[in-house]
Amino acid sequence: MWGDWHQLWVIISTPDNIPIVAMLGLVPFFTWFAFHNMLANDRLIAQLEADPQLARTHHRTTYPYNSRWERELHTNPFLMRKELLAAIIITIILMVWALTLNAPLEEPANASVTMNPAKAPWYFLGLQEMLEYFDPWIAGVVVPTLIIVGLMAIPFIDANPLGNGYYTYKQRRHAVWTFLIGFEALWLVLVCIGTFIRGPGFMWFWPTQTWDPDRVEFNVNRNLDQVFHIDGSWLAHILPASWQGSAAIIARGLFGIIPMVVYGVVAALFIHWICTRTEYSRKIYRKMSLLQTVTMYILLITMLFVPVTIFLRLVFRIKYIWETPWFSI
Amino acid sequence: MPQLQPDDPIKSRSYANVILIAFFVLLLCVSWSFYQEFIGLRPWRSYQTRFADSYSSYLKKQISAREAAEKTVTSSPDYQKLSAAVQQAEATAQPQDAAIEKQMALVDDQRAAILSAFQTDRSLVGSLIYDYEVIPNTPANRSEKESHLRALKKAEAQTYSIDWPEVGGKVVTRNMNYDQLNNEFNDLLNAKAQLTAKEGVIDTPVKGATDAMNTYLSDKLPGLTASQLRGLLRTIQGLTVSLIQINVNPPGKMINDIGGVGLTDRCQSCHVGMDPKYVPAAMTITKADLGLQNSKDAPFTSHPDQQLFTWHPLEKFGCSPCHGGNGRALDTVELAHGRYEHWLWPLYYPENYEAGCQTCHSADAWTRHAPVLNEAKMLYRDRGCIGCHNYTGFDDQGQKLEDTVREIATLEKERATDNQQIPLLNKQGDQAASNAEAQRLYAEATDLTVTVSKIDGQVQQLDQLSHSLQQEVKRVGPDLKEVRLKLHPEWIPYWLSHTWNFDPTAQMPQFRLEPDEVKAISAFIWQQGLKGPALDKQAPGDPAKGKDLFDSLGCLACHSIGEGSQKIGGDVADNLSREGEKANYDYIVRWIHNPRVRTAPYDPYLHRDLTPEDYAKKGLPFVFDLEHSRSPVDGHELVVQQQTIMPDFRLSWQESRDIASFLMTQKSASAHYDPVPWINDPKLFAQGRTLVEHYGCTGCHEITGLEDASRIGTDLTTEGSKPIGRFDFALLYTKAQEGILPDGQKDPRGSWYNLKGFFDQKLANPAVFDEGKYKPNPMDRLRMPKPNIDQQQLNALSSFLQGSQSSTLPPSYQYDPTDERKYIQEGWWIVTKYNCIGCHQIDIGQKTVLMGLPQYQGDNAINLPPVLTSEGARVNPEWLKQFLANPALSTTDTDRDGVRQYLKVRMPTFFLSNDEIRKLVLFFGALSSQQQPFIPEKLAPLTPQEREVARDIFTSPAAPCLKCHMTGNPAHDKNATAPSFLLAGQRLRAPWTERWITEPATIIPGTAMPSGLFVRQGDRWVFNGPLPAAAKNYTGDEANLLVRYLFELTPQEQAALSGRTPSAPKPGGHSSAMLKNSSASSRRGLSR
Repeated sequence: MWGDWHQLWVIISTPDNIPIVAMLGLVPFFTWFAFHNMLANDRLIAQLEADPQLARTHHRTTYPYNSRWERELHTNPFLMRKELLAAIIITIILMVWALTLNAPLEEPANASVTMNPAKAPWYFLGLQEMLEYFDPWIAGVVVPTLIIVGLMAIPFIDANPLGNGYYTYKQRRHAVWTFLIGFEALWLVLVCIGTFIRGPGFMWFWPTQTWDPDRVEFNVNRNLDQVFHIDGSWLAHILPASWQGSAAIIARGLFGIIPMVVYGVVAALFIHWICTRTEYSRKIYRKMSLLQTVTMYILLITMLFVPVTIFLRLVFRIKYIWETPWFSI
Repeated sequence: MPQLQPDDPIKSRSYANVILIAFFVLLLCVSWSFYQEFIGLRPWRSYQTRFADSYSSYLKKQISAREAAEKTVTSSPDYQKLSAAVQQAEATAQPQDAAIEKQMALVDDQRAAILSAFQTDRSLVGSLIYDYEVIPNTPANRSEKESHLRALKKAEAQTYSIDWPEVGGKVVTRNMNYDQLNNEFNDLLNAKAQLTAKEGVIDTPVKGATDAMNTYLSDKLPGLTASQLRGLLRTIQGLTVSLIQINVNPPGKMINDIGGVGLTDRCQSCHVGMDPKYVPAAMTITKADLGLQNSKDAPFTSHPDQQLFTWHPLEKFGCSPCHGGNGRALDTVELAHGRYEHWLWPLYYPENYEAGCQTCHSADAWTRHAPVLNEAKMLYRDRGCIGCHNYTGFDDQGQKLEDTVREIATLEKERATDNQQIPLLNKQGDQAASNAEAQRLYAEATDLTVTVSKIDGQVQQLDQLSHSLQQEVKRVGPDLKEVRLKLHPEWIPYWLSHTWNFDPTAQMPQFRLEPDEVKAISAFIWQQGLKGPALDKQAPGDPAKGKDLFDSLGCLACHSIGEGSQKIGGDVADNLSREGEKANYDYIVRWIHNPRVRTAPYDPYLHRDLTPEDYAKKGLPFVFDLEHSRSPVDGHELVVQQQTIMPDFRLSWQESRDIASFLMTQKSASAHYDPVPWINDPKLFAQGRTLVEHYGCTGCHEITGLEDASRIGTDLTTEGSKPIGRFDFALLYTKAQEGILPDGQKDPRGSWYNLKGFFDQKLANPAVFDEGKYKPNPMDRLRMPKPNIDQQQLNALSSFLQGSQSSTLPPSYQYDPTDERKYIQEGWWIVTKYNCIGCHQIDIGQKTVLMGLPQYQGDNAINLPPVLTSEGARVNPEWLKQFLANPALSTTDTDRDGVRQYLKVRMPTFFLSNDEIRKLVLFFGALSSQQQPFIPEKLAPLTPQEREVARDIFTSPAAPCLKCHMTGNPAHDKNATAPSFLLAGQRLRAPWTERWITEPATIIPGTAMPSGLFVRQGDRWVFNGPLPAAAKNYTGDEANLLVRYLFELTPQEQAALSGRTPSAPKPGGHSSAMLKNSSASSRRGLSR
């Protein structure tokens, strides 16, 4: 049933979902704010690069040069008062929140009853959403591990000496876009889908669609090999007799390697193209060791694989690209 | 600090205003949080203050009213007289009292005088005795021991100088040693005790007079006195607003133990009026009393049934275990009442209050103070819910019987194997190679022989058990094997499709059947019916006589007759208004003559009905009843009776024909039935059988080939604990959550997505959750038929289901008695099973069906069956056993009631099993708090003199016993209204009888048995009427004498005396008390 605004209101007003509703406004705001400052700084950088004399005397990053101003300012009170203000405002927000909304507690857990929908806490909804698209082994173990390892590896991969401690886009184009795609476009969008779109049975409900637990959905997913009718019948002719029973499995496993390799190559070329597009990035690229480069490429290829899979699943109903008896991708 | 630069945007910018505003907002938030902490989240504070205010002013009003009333009473001449009597008594006792006071004062002075010396000496001597005792008695220590003994003797001999006061204020000096002090001290204590006792005796008249005065006051003005009310006022004015919490943890459990916590219940924090400290049990307050009748927010009333607190002390139970709700929550009404999605035990709505009783009283068939629940449990049986839905505690004899049958089959198989084995082993023994081997094999064979005989014993025992169980197994609906003998075939399809059109009060639910399903079921039922042996042809009876019998025998305790507003009678059996349209006369005659008669016995081991041929093969006549209940084929217990609760009224064939003829006249003029040419179509048989199994007809009816079918529905024992997600609201899911009822109306209580909502809707229309579902095959639809219940009955059943929980309370809260209350619990299951309460009042205040009938109103109440509230104290349990087994008390003259032949209503024979009789006898005993086991009272035999006195009393015109009580003389008994004395000896119990003849109205208020036959003189009862001079010398208890006489009474004695009994009471010979009680206006319910 469509046009159920009451349903939408129920989802939005659930105390559980307050952080995510707030995020819908806060994330765009801070993204805008960051870009605003980045661009302002980039303009200053351009100005200073054009005027080496000014660069030598300029002492504040965000204001135009004024000779009568002091070169340095004390933390107290000029920074502290801002922090005090921020602390007060945050305290007010937390207090109002605590006073108006009760903790979203539910009934005592009952081992024999599963709640429907059964959702992870909001900050894990992205991971839960990934389970929809990947093998649990991939979504629950491999990807989270890669995320953590990848985040830890960033300082070691980063060969760019500039852009630390101030807003800049020009000097950090690569990092900014990785963050925008990896965190905002992927992680946060998955969280939002998990919160607002996934209803009973973890089915896909568009906003204003009623969350009916009895809904029945026609949703058949196929593996890529099924699209291409890979059944191993031709392979059976060439395999030894004792292997014939596994012909279909072997055929599928072998077939799956092809698209994976194709994707890997295409994605690597794409990333390479981006990394060597401008003079500046070529400079950084040349500074990177082989280990650094390979690590970064692997991480980025994996990251880009997530939206590709989601796209294949949602649009072409393709479940796995590569199916093996041990894992499926 | 560097100099301020006015144009430096960082230095010159002031944050003062922003920080100030932010700070003020923060301050506001802090105040807000304080408000929430102390007021917003503590609504009970204002409730308590408001209660204290309104209750104080109510109490003040009550106090002034009470004081005025007390003044009126105290100024009345009666009270003045009593008050004067008190003063008089006080004046009389005063001089003696004063003398005693004086003596007591002297004793006290004397004791004070010696006390100091006595205490000092006693401790000194005590310590010396100890020192002496601890020295070992050996030669080495002899001298030391002796020196200590000397010191001890010396201390004992030492004297103390005492200033001893004497009478008249004189003081003398006395020298006293240890023994003297000791003796004197004890003497003084005795003297004091004697004086106190004496004072008590002297003050007895004063106390009596004061008690009389106070009793008079409390009789005139019941309720709390002004001073008690003032005490309450002080209490409520001293109320400090605080959390009122009941916190009970089972031993060893901490408050936060999951599942272990007994109870935390804070309901009284708002519902202050519940606390007996503020509103004692002697008073009740309502909103109107407090002047808050228009307030929607005044939870101050006291509990409407405070007697419940006697069994459920508030400090142990609190409120939420019975009422539901979240006993811990206090923030808002909604949270405290648990009326939100996540609290699994919401407060019950008023119509379901008694669900709370069921959570602990599920083992009761009858719970006192819970009429709704009791009705629900009766309905659960009578409406056949039990036929499909198992419920632990309800009749499980069928299950037990099945188990027994299975066990017997297993044992028989084992026996057969053993029997084959024995000759084999013997043979092997004969051919054994060695002697030892042969011995071993023979021994094994002998062992097996013993085992076989053991099995024989076991099987015999199980057969006896199954005999008893066979008697107890009952079905709600009639036996459908007999349809061909009983019914007109064209009536069957009409009944199936128009059940409630035919009988708007039918017990049978209305099934959702398609026309072809009706056809198939009818055909199957008809074709499975027994075709013979044919019934005896009956001559027509007299309908007018039959109607008289029908109205007076007690049929209406279960059956109803008349339609619509004309309907009278009970609901546990059919309405008979249209009986003539459906049934065969011959069958009904047999049925009325004895409803337990079967056409053929059913053998549960062979799974078929036995035929005359089965009997003929063994050379036996085709006779089967409770005495001939073994199968000629396999030797086990058969089903020899109809599985109906309808009892045998022991009527003659003529009487049965009369009643049947009357029933045959019960027809609707407009009745029309379509012919059923297809009824014998064998093609319908298979489909019909499938449908009968599918719809669970076998739950209530006996059907050929499906005798062992099991129940088709869900077990409902803990239905109220099922998670809500397990209930299929189907397409009504969203509507239920939004509070829109299936008919589109808005539910004023909001969301009905809860257990109550499901039960209510399901009971109102079980098909409701099918609505809009795509089910092209009718057999895919929900099977549950629509029960024939009104809104009140629906609420009762819904309460019952809501309360059917696996309780979260500790087991110690469950009502599972192990003492004689267990007998009461067990007995009620039988009492309600056979609808004893349709005729008899058993629980105090319980109404019977017969009480409501027009023929028993006003003076005619005298014709009602006896009240059984004190049955256990009244009758000898051994006699009761006989009576329950055979209420005619005779094997030859059965067309009568054994005790009350003067009543038209008759105790029928229920063919109770021995176990049921035993339970019922224990039940009546426990209900009257009788000791178990029963020990008959020994009565001293009468001496000839005593017999003479007793005869004089028995025949005195002041006690015309034989005028009302039956004598056995038919002419006299026609007008008798009480049982025969000849039964008394074996039937009654002496203590009860004695109380009955002295104070009958205290046992059964309103009885026709006259009170005041005896008066109390000292510690004995004396006959209140003229007696010959010789009898006046008797010094024993005359009531007891009469009881002993009655228990010895023989028919000869009674016949000899009947001449001496005056035929009519002479007014002159009666005491005034007698006259009052025997006047016609108060003659109701004699000997009830």
